[in-house]
Amino acid sequence: MIRLRQVEKAYRTADRSVPVLREVSFDVAAGQFCAVTGPSGSGKSTLLNLVGLLDRPTAGSIALDGQEVATASADRCAEIRNRALGFVFQAFHLLPRLTAWENVALPLLYRGVPRARRRPLALAMLETVGLADRADHRPSQMSGGQCQRVAVARALIGEPRLILADEPTGSLDSVTAGEIMELLRDLNRRLGVTVLMVTHDRDLAGACQRRIEMLDGRVVADTAAA
Amino acid sequence: MTAIAHDRAAASFGESVAEAFANLAAQRQRSALALLGVLIGTASIVAMLTVGHMAQRETLRLFADMGVDIVQIQGAPIGEAPAALDRATIEAMPRLDPAVIASAPLALGRLPVGGGGKSADLGVAASTPALVDLTGLRVATGRFLTPMDEGGLVAVVGAGAADKLSDVGAPFTVGGKLRIRDYVFTAVGVLKPIGFTALDPMDFNDAVIIPLASARRAIDAPEPNTAMLKLRPEADAKAVGDRAIARLATPTAQLRAQSARDMIKTMNAQKAVHSRLLTAIGAISLLVGGIGVMNVMLMGVMERRREIGLRMAIGATARDVQLMFLVEAAALALVGGAAGLAFGLVAALVFAKTSGWAFSLPLYVLPLGPGMAALVGMAFGLYPAVKASRLDPIEALRAE
Repeated sequence: MIRLRQVEKAYRTADRSVPVLREVSFDVAAGQFCAVTGPSGSGKSTLLNLVGLLDRPTAGSIALDGQEVATASADRCAEIRNRALGFVFQAFHLLPRLTAWENVALPLLYRGVPRARRRPLALAMLETVGLADRADHRPSQMSGGQCQRVAVARALIGEPRLILADEPTGSLDSVTAGEIMELLRDLNRRLGVTVLMVTHDRDLAGACQRRIEMLDGRVVADTAAA
Repeated sequence: MTAIAHDRAAASFGESVAEAFANLAAQRQRSALALLGVLIGTASIVAMLTVGHMAQRETLRLFADMGVDIVQIQGAPIGEAPAALDRATIEAMPRLDPAVIASAPLALGRLPVGGGGKSADLGVAASTPALVDLTGLRVATGRFLTPMDEGGLVAVVGAGAADKLSDVGAPFTVGGKLRIRDYVFTAVGVLKPIGFTALDPMDFNDAVIIPLASARRAIDAPEPNTAMLKLRPEADAKAVGDRAIARLATPTAQLRAQSARDMIKTMNAQKAVHSRLLTAIGAISLLVGGIGVMNVMLMGVMERRREIGLRMAIGATARDVQLMFLVEAAALALVGGAAGLAFGLVAALVFAKTSGWAFSLPLYVLPLGPGMAALVGMAFGLYPAVKASRLDPIEALRAE
């Protein structure tokens, strides 16, 4: 599903370039639930952004489903993000003006799916995440956990192969966090969608199928759960 | 593949417009301010064009009755004696100058005229039958002066003058008697009401017209002091005026020629200055409005960085983001332009009412006002839209 080879990323400041990722290479098989952990500044978010085609590596190769994407055009990247990827963010990033179902349906807008056809698809997806009764609520009328469920539904509506989750439980209390984790795991099991999740929570990471640990831009451990 | 791409653009555009209005409504106050600039700009340009259009029609109407091919020669007295132009030379003008088709001498005065039981201070114009060809005068009842009336005590009465001489239940009509000094003139005709036009030497509506040869009985200065000439349509009014002045030169008077064309030219020149001024005001307002639109859009881009980042993350292309903000800018300007069109037309209507003009709408302003506003919106919306599309999605998502 994902294949990284010798991926390097450096940020250029005025007088020197600061390396953030060094020689990162690993594979994630389709259907895996994989956590990326590490302290702040270890490069785990940068890694997620590269896999999510929001950023480009300085060197190295990134392939999704066997397709090289590190050098794809901006429009091609947008299309891949729209069709093959789903993002879940720590801050939910729901649009406050839109209702739950409209937020969920947003990715379909960029596929040209007409509004009338978006609604039933979004409602079905809300049902999947257990929020069928909140379809017409706005984000301000929902709890954090509910907002994140809406965001998960939005990530799933395009039927992506890969969910990229950046600290998905970072803004939630531990009970709600557990529920969201359970939801992600359940979707992973039921729909076979691959999940790459960045977290600094060791307990959450430990509960995942596979755990990649990073430090100073390098992968320092790659362990599979028993 | 192309079909899919095409479908996609079509589906997004209709919704982009709806989205744009929802976004503008969400930031009502700021949108209203930007709108105001575009509104004032469009309104002043629309008002300017409409008033200019009406002014042109008004000018044409002013000269429509007598035509634009009139030259008037006026003599101002030099010294004690009244100005006296040579009647025979004036009447011979059509023969002397091939560019002249008709001519009439006039002697003008103003004095009390008695008629019926009443008396009024009226203009008295002594002239020849040719006068009717040089003015818009039309007879309502009776007849105009004829060559047979030379030296006779007859008069043609203007509609306004007839009203002033009428008593309740005793209207002044043809056959009525007019007392001017010690003479009694008989009215042979009453004119239709007529407006005062720029080149009339006198307001004929409020005047009594008598034969020139009878002038010495009624007017202090009975010799003609004014000549009216009608030109061939293609004639050069200035040259004809100069030739006429040379022929009529007399030590008693300083002569001056005035032509309808000159007056129209002067009016048009004045109008052009006003038009340019209003256009400048309109252009500046539109510029200010455009900058307002840009400001609203830039602030919108700043405030909605996270939204832009998110839209990019879920598959919006740079073009999608640009379109979103461009449509918003165009919608903003378009609403301002439409409101400006309405305000501009109302302003022109008020102007027409207060100056007694006929309201007339030049159809080309209808698409022009909003069209210009939309253009301004697009032009000034382009920079914020491009800026939005170039945001780094990672930083945008991190923004507060």
